[in-house]
Amino acid sequence: MSTDSNTKKVKFFDKLKKDEFYKQLFKNPLTYVGAAVFLSILQMITLASTGNPWGVSGVLAYWGAWGFEALGGSVDKWYYFSSQGAQNVLNNGFLNHAPTWRNLGIIFGAAAAALLASGFKFKKIKSKRQVIAASLGGLLMGYGARLAYGCNIGALYSGIASLSVSGWVFAVGMFFGAIVGSKLLVKYFM
Amino acid sequence: MNEVVVDCYGEACPIPIVKSEKALADMAVGDLLIVQIDHSCAMKNVPEWAREQGYNVEVEEIDDGEWEVFIEKTK
Repeated sequence: MSTDSNTKKVKFFDKLKKDEFYKQLFKNPLTYVGAAVFLSILQMITLASTGNPWGVSGVLAYWGAWGFEALGGSVDKWYYFSSQGAQNVLNNGFLNHAPTWRNLGIIFGAAAAALLASGFKFKKIKSKRQVIAASLGGLLMGYGARLAYGCNIGALYSGIASLSVSGWVFAVGMFFGAIVGSKLLVKYFM
Repeated sequence: MNEVVVDCYGEACPIPIVKSEKALADMAVGDLLIVQIDHSCAMKNVPEWAREQGYNVEVEEIDDGEWEVFIEKTK
């Protein structure tokens, strides 16, 4: 590429950076209320079109099972996957599982939003402690979400949106869990 | 006027806020705190929190996905 077209390109992105429409659409985050309204509309569409409330972490359990099966394992005898419904999902496969596509949409959508805002960055890992805490936290969250039949989306958000008491019970548990978590965070990471 | 820089690169919420709060507690009125962050949520909630405290706040994008939040301890 010639230097001439290079400078033209740089100029284009410099101009784009200052463009008000670009900033409003891609750069500035939505307000909390704006994002909440968007999410509510989308979860209503999800419930109306699929017949199931929005969930995220249940899908990850299936991803784990498919991964385990791909490596030669079998989850046929596992209590969690023993229902006919769960077996059907596993047999139909990754590509025919609609919630899987929704989760992929969240991952690629989030990446696209970060790229469009030119805010994408590979973050450096700060300490071994951070790796241990993140892995431990992830495992506990995943395990807890399966015990509770849902995460903060499936059990809390969709629970409350479906006028179920269980969502509120989950909220109380999560609130006290967050207090304990914050105390541990300040103790070990400050 | 003193300048204090807090490196929060690679740290997720709520660590940047807690670190800023701790740093500000040891600073004198008129000092400037610079919080370096690369977590887009912190880019929203650190300035919001600091403005709520009544401090002067400015955010500068220094690179793709990296920001510096300038907080002037005004009181």
